This record gives sequence, structure tokens and C-alpha cells, in this order.
Amino acid sequence: MNRLKNLPTLRIDAERVLSFTYRGKTCQGLEGDTVATALYANGVRVFGRSLKYHRPRGLYSLDGECSNTMMEVDGVPNVRAEATVLASGMTVKPQNIKGSPEFDLMGFMDGLSWAMPAGFYYRVFHKPARIWPAAIKQIRQAAGLGTLSPDFRMKGRFDEIYPAAEVCVIGGGPAGMAAALAAAEQGLRVILLESRPWLGGAFEYRTTADSSGTALFESARELARKVERTAGIRIFTHAPVVGVYTDGQVTAVQRGGADQSFDERYIEIRARSVVAATGCIERPLLFENNERPGIMQTECALRLARTWGILPGSEAVFSIGHDQGLEAAIDLCDLGLKVAVVADTREDGQDALLLDALAQRRIPFLKGWVAQKAHGSRQISSATLSSLNGHFNRELPCDLLVASAGLTPVTGPLTLAEAKLSYDSRTGFFLPNELPAWLYAAGRLLGLAHFEAIAASGRLAGLRAAQRCGAEAAAGIRDCESRLKELPGPVRGSKFVSAPRAGKKAFVCFDEDTTLKNVDQAMDMGFDVPELIKRFTSAGTGPGQGGIPGHNLPLYVNQSGSSPDSQPRPTLTRPPLVPTLMAAYAGAGHAMAKRTPLHELQKADGGRMETVGDWKRARRFSDDVRCRAEITNVRTNVGLLDASTLGKFRLFGPDALKALQRVYVSDMSRMHAGKAKYSAMCNDDGCLTDDGVIVQTGESEYYFTTSTGRAGVTSEWIRYHTRFDNWDFSLVNLTDAYGVINIAGPNARAVLSKVTPAAVDNEAFPYMGYREFDVGGVAVRALRLGFVGELSYELHVPSSWMAGVWGVLTEAGREFGIRNFGLEAQNALRLDKGHIIIGSESEQRTTLHDLGLGFLWHRHKPEARTVGDGALRHTEKQSGRLKLVGLKMEDASAQPPGDGSPIVDKRIRGYVCTARYSVALKEPVGMALVEEGLAAEGSRLAIYEDGCEGRLIYAKVAKKPFYDPEGERLRS
Amino acid sequence: MKGSSIVMERQSPVHLPGNPGKTKLRDHWPVVLEYADEGPGPWIVDLSHCHRWDIQGRDLAAEAAPGISLPDAPGAVTLPGKMLTGRTGQRQAFLWVFDDKAAAPAGECWTEVTEGTFCLALLGRNVFQITEKLTSLDLGDPKRNAPYLLLGPFSHVTGQMVVLSKDPRNAVVLVAGTRGFAHDMVHAVLAAGEEFGLRPAGESRFLEKFKSLPRPDVPEKTRSAARKTAASDKPKSSGRTRSKIRIGPK
Repeated sequence: MNRLKNLPTLRIDAERVLSFTYRGKTCQGLEGDTVATALYANGVRVFGRSLKYHRPRGLYSLDGECSNTMMEVDGVPNVRAEATVLASGMTVKPQNIKGSPEFDLMGFMDGLSWAMPAGFYYRVFHKPARIWPAAIKQIRQAAGLGTLSPDFRMKGRFDEIYPAAEVCVIGGGPAGMAAALAAAEQGLRVILLESRPWLGGAFEYRTTADSSGTALFESARELARKVERTAGIRIFTHAPVVGVYTDGQVTAVQRGGADQSFDERYIEIRARSVVAATGCIERPLLFENNERPGIMQTECALRLARTWGILPGSEAVFSIGHDQGLEAAIDLCDLGLKVAVVADTREDGQDALLLDALAQRRIPFLKGWVAQKAHGSRQISSATLSSLNGHFNRELPCDLLVASAGLTPVTGPLTLAEAKLSYDSRTGFFLPNELPAWLYAAGRLLGLAHFEAIAASGRLAGLRAAQRCGAEAAAGIRDCESRLKELPGPVRGSKFVSAPRAGKKAFVCFDEDTTLKNVDQAMDMGFDVPELIKRFTSAGTGPGQGGIPGHNLPLYVNQSGSSPDSQPRPTLTRPPLVPTLMAAYAGAGHAMAKRTPLHELQKADGGRMETVGDWKRARRFSDDVRCRAEITNVRTNVGLLDASTLGKFRLFGPDALKALQRVYVSDMSRMHAGKAKYSAMCNDDGCLTDDGVIVQTGESEYYFTTSTGRAGVTSEWIRYHTRFDNWDFSLVNLTDAYGVINIAGPNARAVLSKVTPAAVDNEAFPYMGYREFDVGGVAVRALRLGFVGELSYELHVPSSWMAGVWGVLTEAGREFGIRNFGLEAQNALRLDKGHIIIGSESEQRTTLHDLGLGFLWHRHKPEARTVGDGALRHTEKQSGRLKLVGLKMEDASAQPPGDGSPIVDKRIRGYVCTARYSVALKEPVGMALVEEGLAAEGSRLAIYEDGCEGRLIYAKVAKKPFYDPEGERLRS
Repeated sequence: MKGSSIVMERQSPVHLPGNPGKTKLRDHWPVVLEYADEGPGPWIVDLSHCHRWDIQGRDLAAEAAPGISLPDAPGAVTLPGKMLTGRTGQRQAFLWVFDDKAAAPAGECWTEVTEGTFCLALLGRNVFQITEKLTSLDLGDPKRNAPYLLLGPFSHVTGQMVVLSKDPRNAVVLVAGTRGFAHDMVHAVLAAGEEFGLRPAGESRFLEKFKSLPRPDVPEKTRSAARKTAASDKPKSSGRTRSKIRIGPK
């Protein structure tokens, strides 16, 4: 297609040709094209098919306000072709078609619209109930735009940025630019967000002169240059706002390119003041077949020509309701478009100069007329115009119908900010009448149309925003208010919504194929509020984020008289305001996981690393998911476990003991030098929240451990539960300061004694003892514990020395065949002993007593007001509670039941917490939480495994610990 | 250990790419003084080996060691000699020591946290363009005069950020956080800095900039408290044996 040349408004470079592929065919566009304009220049008119009826759809708005031009680009579905800059080598495909966009085999669905009335999703297919599973399968296959494989991996460079500013301006038109300049003059940092690739807004491409005789686009560009030169203003173009939240938080997603370090990046700003200068979009005109390819809005037609040099058609009919529509007809006529007629829904009020211009060009003009029907199957071939009273009509041939009901403000950011909007009958706009203190509105969205008035309102908003940030702007504000009074105010807008006898295919929502008839059906069924009608008909719930139905829906409903509100009310908007990739929200997407000091060594030793909470940990060290070799090695020899993730804390101060007494259920005053004390913390319900060991390391100083999962909240927990006591104690989180090596197994002592001069025999260092000595010359804290049920030492080593100490132990243990064991082996080993893991065998309903840990609770320290004390007293003998029991399978050769499997009879009576095959006992063992009635030793438990299809398996309640019940091995 | 093949050296949680040009073993830490090709900046420097201390107590001014002035207000930072102190709250502050010859502070209220944290310095130009990709905190707030401290998210995990210089061509920002996150944090910082040419530099680069920083005035209240502490008896010892744990080999 030949492009218009030498227009001062063009944003393409005719010398730089870009090749891309569409439906397997190589096409060409120009640098500066969007995917949509490049396709249009290549003669594409049908871009895809609609969701439900598979109706052909084409270019309509050029800002991606509907899903008409959502296409697959480079394998990514649902890309807004209108908002995507063309790049060389792109592969573009249409969506939702079987065959071709022009000849879609699913096009017959259009003839079945009678079978899909409003709300049919909710009303059909559920009676009889048996047809629903089959129906839902078919609906899911037929529904949706674009396809995505579950294996799909998003390619591209995504980033995130949190720029700081005092004032954030949304909208880069004259009002937004003036606001940014005003705020920056006050010395404030300003961020300006503009969704299009350049500043200028709705004036960027208009050649009409303003009151000074300067073409609007020149005034807009001059202002843009001034903004770009101003140091305190950071401009983000191609950055549509996606969210506005409380207290001035604004989010946007910016499109990058080959010359930038990102393809898309998430922008998050917390500004003290925000100016919304988002301007207007056009309100769609509703008539029969109003969405045919070849029908487009005024700005779309004009921008195609002025910005991209593409004449939108050859013979056009205009059906508009605002002066901009007249302006566009005149301009496009001058550029070579044959304009057959201009129909204006307004009976009067047009700009006289524009009417003269139409007359000079001999363009027929019809006042009080509107498009009633578009003809043509895949593309418009003619349009029927009608007088507003419906008495007169005319059909005219055309390949382009420029249709618009007028302007409507972009209020999405305002409603997200919880501004209150009300309908103004003069402008026909929803205007803000109550804004949050930090939000200011300006420009066309207030109904202004005069360039200088728009800029002045922007300046005023910018000064007010600056004043809120502490700037001395009172005088400037007064001047601005005076100036604004002298300029033209809000203009009379169009309230027109739909043509008379609009027909059954007048679409109010292009995304969801919702027609006016569907809206009528919903109202006939009793829905009288736009919010409910929206959801019942799904109008505005599609990927266009409500851009097309926008304000038409509430206006139409209000006109019907069905609504209980006397004035129309806009429907709610929710973020994101424009369709946004999940990858963009994820930003740079850096995984932030914690690593122990032994991470690389564990990996080098074959560790299969997994994310467990905040940490990367080795699950196992071989392909055997049961870890039999690791387990056997610990039971018979010696193994090493990286337990560095345990929480570790230093507690000190005159009232340190009081703090311990408050949070631990045991009597913490009974601690002995050189001995570790095991205890637990509960919440106010007496339920176990944490356990660990505590060692007294000074007169008022303690070192204690917590579970990995609670390490991050322990400080807050203790502070919270002592917040009214004004005690003098301090807490330092040393979780990452020490790594922990657990050396366990019958040969553990033999290995350890090789690397330390300290005495580590049973007499010198008994079970539950605490010592400090050197290993490999490094000072360590050592505890003798027995979580896995064998002779075991827990060495707390300063993190920077961990690799060295680990190396020393490994070297010393080589003669014994020392090897690593991981989390899974540890899990199975401790299960043999009936030792619990918080969150595996405990849950929010289980108290200390339920878990068999009631022995930890010291009931005679009421002065301590221990957390959970009251609940423990109350529930100690309470019946009807879940109890933790051991279980063994009736068939010792059976597989262990899956974790979480329900225990049943006529109803669920409990569940299996954890079950594994015990290498030592050569049979499966496990622990379960069961109702009290099943807790007695020997009770039979029927277990329902996922997928068992009713074939239960059986276990018996067995005494714990299963292995070494007397604890001889761990005390050896 | 005798006969052992294991090299007992401390390991930093931070591993920077690049070719260490000049290194030194200091207190068993292999410290990179200079990288082979540090370029024009901006730079990232690993300072994890520098000693860092936490101090907590009811009366920090009284507890502070001689010669160490603690700031009064949360968020404030002082730079006594080759050290840096910051106030995190009413009863908590920290001390970072960039002098390998400095004595450790004594007293129950002090806890060495070197092992539990990483510490990075970002120096040179474009530092704030890098940090604004990593944190929503306003590190370059024009209303604040450097040095100052901010606590909050850095690459989505909690960190301490100390801004020592806001000069856009010569900024100095220190970031400290939990040791376990060091690997992924460095990865995130390097990725954020890639478009600006961020490169590793050695300790010498940081010390050179640190020495040239203007020192903020120490409040009189803090100075007199420090003098009082110097003149008073040593912190009382407990009746029971205190932990003899020490860091490092014999």
C-alpha cells in the first residue's frame, strides 16, 4: 500500500523497511509501525474472529481497547497488535479461527446467537446435571482467545523499577505536560507516564489551529520538547498505567525495545501527589453490525493517516457526535479520502467554522442523523443512515464507516483510587466530584476541549499537587484559577448512545460479543443495576478491560428506566487497566532463596537441592527417592547433615529469663551448666508453634534454637508477647551466623574425636550436653542431641568456617565411609523414633497434650503468664480431641500410605501425617492424627489413599518410638 | 590441623565474578584488594569480611565503647575514624569496622554479627539508577543529607542501606543483609547493574572513597556519653562463667 508522505505529523521512517511474517507470508512495514498498522498497510482488514459468534473483527480504536486485534506474536498469544511496535522478524498469526480470518469454519456460530442469550452460561447445560461434564469440555475448547501450551516458557527481558518522585502525572497530553512542568518548577521530582510511544496526547496528530494560529500538533510538540528539556521530569513513554492504589501508589508496565535493556518492565511509584490527566477515548456508537471490519472510530481513522501515513479507506461515511469528528472528516478529505456524507447525531451546537469547511469541500452534512446498520459480511460494503426519529433512512456504499458517539473520559485511574464520579448532563461525562486528598484531575477528562484551557487546568493541578508536597505555590494557584476562568470551560457533549431500532447485533462489548439485545434480556429478567448486568451478560469482563462497553453500558441502562438510580453510575474498574503479561508483573523475577554455607559442597556431592521455605536444601544425594543407602549409613555407620537452617538466637539482659519463661512452656529457671534443655512454645490456644533447645551461656545470657520455619518470626513473637512488660532484654538473630553440622551414627564419636582435642566420650559429653571446643582449630558450640535416634552431635560453626570444618570432618570420616544424608533420610530416621516435625505432625488444632508432649509443660509458674498456659490447663483432659498416634501397616510388606491420606470409617476420623518404609525395622511406619476413639494401641485404622477407588488399606495403632524405644543408641 | 589437606580459610558469602588482581589474607579471610580490570565504574565491592557488631540495650550511649560515638536518632549514621555506626531503633544500633587493626568492642550488649550478614558497597556513577531497580526506598531523597540509614526491602528481602554519598557521579551506598541471601542478592545486583557496566572492585577502591567522605558532626550528647564510658569502670562481669566462644582458630 502506498503511504502518505511528507506529513509533518508522521511517526514512521519510510526509509527503514521491516520484514515480518503474517500467516506464513512475508510482509513489510516501516520503522515506527505497530503490528496493527503494518498489517493494515498490507491490506489486512479482518484481524481475527470474535469470542462467541466468530464474527470478523478489524481495526477499531488503535489503542487496544478491545480484543479485535489481539494476535499471536512470536508465539505469545493475546498480544495487543495496536499497542505493539513492529520489530523485524516478527511472526504474527490471527487467533480464534479455524481456516482463515476471512473464511472461518466456525463462522456459523453467528447464526446460533439465538441459542446464547444473556446469562446462558449460568442457565443452560446444568439440567440434567449429567450433561454438564460433557458440555463444559466443549465450552472450554471453544472459548477463549489464543492458545497456550502448559510447557510454554515466556521469552524476553523483563525488569522492574521503583523510581522516586514527589509528583506523578498520569497522561502525557497538554494537561499532563503542563502539570509536570508546573510541579518541576517548584523544585520537585516529577514522573510523567504516557501510554503511547510519544508525548502529545490527543493533539499530537491534529492539524487544526489553536487560537494563536498554531497547528495543534505543533503546540503539543513544542510543549513536549519543553518537558523533555526539564531536568526534574522523568518521562516514561509507552508505559500505560495498570494500577492506582492508596496513598499515591501508581503502577505501570513499560514496553521496551531492542535499544533498551528490557522488553517490558514493571514500574512502581509512590508519590506524594498524583495528577490524573488521562484525557478521553471515544464512546462507541451502537448500531446494527457496529463492529464490522471497516468500521472504526474517528481518532483511529485520523491517526492511521496522520501518524502512520495510511489512508484508512477510499470511500467513507462518517457518523459522529462531536466536533472532532467533523475535524477528522475535513482533514481526511484533504488527504485524499472521499467522504460521501457526514451524519452528526447533534441537532445543533457544531463549530460554525467546521461546518463551513465541510461546505467548502462539498461534503454532504446531515444533522440529527446516525448510522443505523452496517452492511457487508466480512467487511463493510455500505451503511444505512437514519434520522434520529427513525422515519428516514439512506443507504450509501462505502468501504469505511467512521463512527463515534462522542468523547468519554478515561476514568479508570480515578475509580481505582476510589474517587467518586457522578454524571454531568452538560458534558455527558462521568466527572470526579470527590477525589482523595493526594489526587488531582486535569484536562479533557474534565470536559475541556480548548487547548489553552486544557493546558491551564493541567498547570493548576500540577501546582496544587506541588503545594501538597510543601511547595509555596499559593500565588501561582490563584493566578492559574483566574486564567482558567477566562478560558472556555467544559463543552457540551453528546449523550447519544444507540441508533433507533438498533437491531439484534448492536454490540455493546466486542470482547464478549454482548449485544444491546443481551442487555435488554438481562433487564427483562430483573437485573436493573449496571454492575449486575455487566456480570450477567459478561459485558466489559473481557481482555479489553472494559474499554469498549465502558460508559455505554450504564448510560444505556439508565436510559431504559430500569435502573433504580436516577443518574447513571459507572461500573467498577479493577487493575490491571490494560492487559498485562504475568511476566511483566514478575519483573526481573530474581529468585531470592537462602543458601547455607555448604550449598556448593552439597551440590558437588550430588545433593538434589529443593526450595524448602526460604532455603535451598538437599533433599537426597542419589536417585533413590527412598534414600535407603543414606538411612542405612546413619543407622550403622556415620553420616553428615547440613542443618544450618535451624533458627539460632542470643538472648541476654537482666530480664532474659523472664522472657524465656513467658514463651517456653517448661520451667526455664531449672537449667544446668553444660546441659541443653528441650522445650516448646505454644500459642494462646495451647497449640505447638515451635520447639528447640536452650542453653545458658552466662548469668543472664542464653543461646537457643528454633525450627527453621519459625526462625524469621521468633524475635517478633517474643517481643509481641512481652510488649507490655517493659522488661530489659535483648535478642539477636544468629540464624545465619552459625552453620550447623549434624554428625550422626554409631561412628560419630570416633570421627569427632579425631578432629578435636576435647573429650567427647559419653562421660565427658553425655546426651543433652552442651560444650564449646575446637574442631580443626575452629571454636564451635556442640550439642548432643538425638533427633534421628542415633549417637549424634550438632556442631554450631561460625558460617565463614563451615566449609573448612565440613572438610575436616569429611576427611576424618573417610576411613569410615562417612557420607552425606539429606532431608528425606532425616525425615525417615526421625519417624522411626516418633519425633515430630512442626507442621507435619502438628497443626492448628493440636495442643501439646494432643501430640504427647504435655510432659514439657510446667504448670506451676503462673507468675510467668506463659503463652498458652491457660489453654493447656483447659484442654489437658478435654475429650473429643485429635491425638497423635504411631501406626504400622497390617501387611508389613505393603507400601506406606501417602502423607495426608484420610483415615475413615463412615466418615473421616483423622489422617496420616507421615509414613515411610523403615529401613531399620523393615516395615512401613508412620504417625497419624486420629480422633480420640481410635487412639488406643491396637486400634484398626482404615486408610483411604488418593486414587484408591474405594479400596482401603489397613494399619494398627502402634506404640512409639518404633526404633530403640529405650533410647540406648542415642544415649550411648 | 596437622597432616590435613584441608585449607582452613574463611569463606565470604559473596562471590563476585572477575579476576582478583591483588589479594591479602587477613584474619583467615582472603580479601580482594583490587580486581584486574575494574573499569571506570560503577563498582560493587564485597565488604563481608569487615567486622560488624550489633549493640542493644536500654542506654546505648552509656554502653558504647570508648571512641565509638553512636548516633541518637533512628536512621542517623556517624563515621568515627574508619568505622561507621548507625542507629536502627531506640535500643539498637550497629557498628561496622573498616579498620583491620581496630579492637573489638567489649561488653555484654555487643554481639558480633559479621558471620550472619553480608555487606556490599556500590560506588561511583549510576548507583542510584541501579538501586532504584532493586528497592522502592528513596535512597536519593533530596530532603536527606548523607550519611543516613534506611531499613527495608532490597531485592525483595529486608536489608540495611547506608547512603554515604549522594553525588550522582561518585555515590557510595552500603547494603547489608542476611548472609543466606547473599548469593541471590549479588545475582540481582549484578543483573540490575549490567546495563550500567557495573563491575567488581576491591576493598581498596572502597576505602579510598570512604576516607574522602566528609564526617558528619557528632551530637554533643553522644560525645559526652562516650567520654563518660571511657572514664568509667569496665563492664561488670557476671558471677557465672560467660561463654568462652571465640571466632577463629587458636
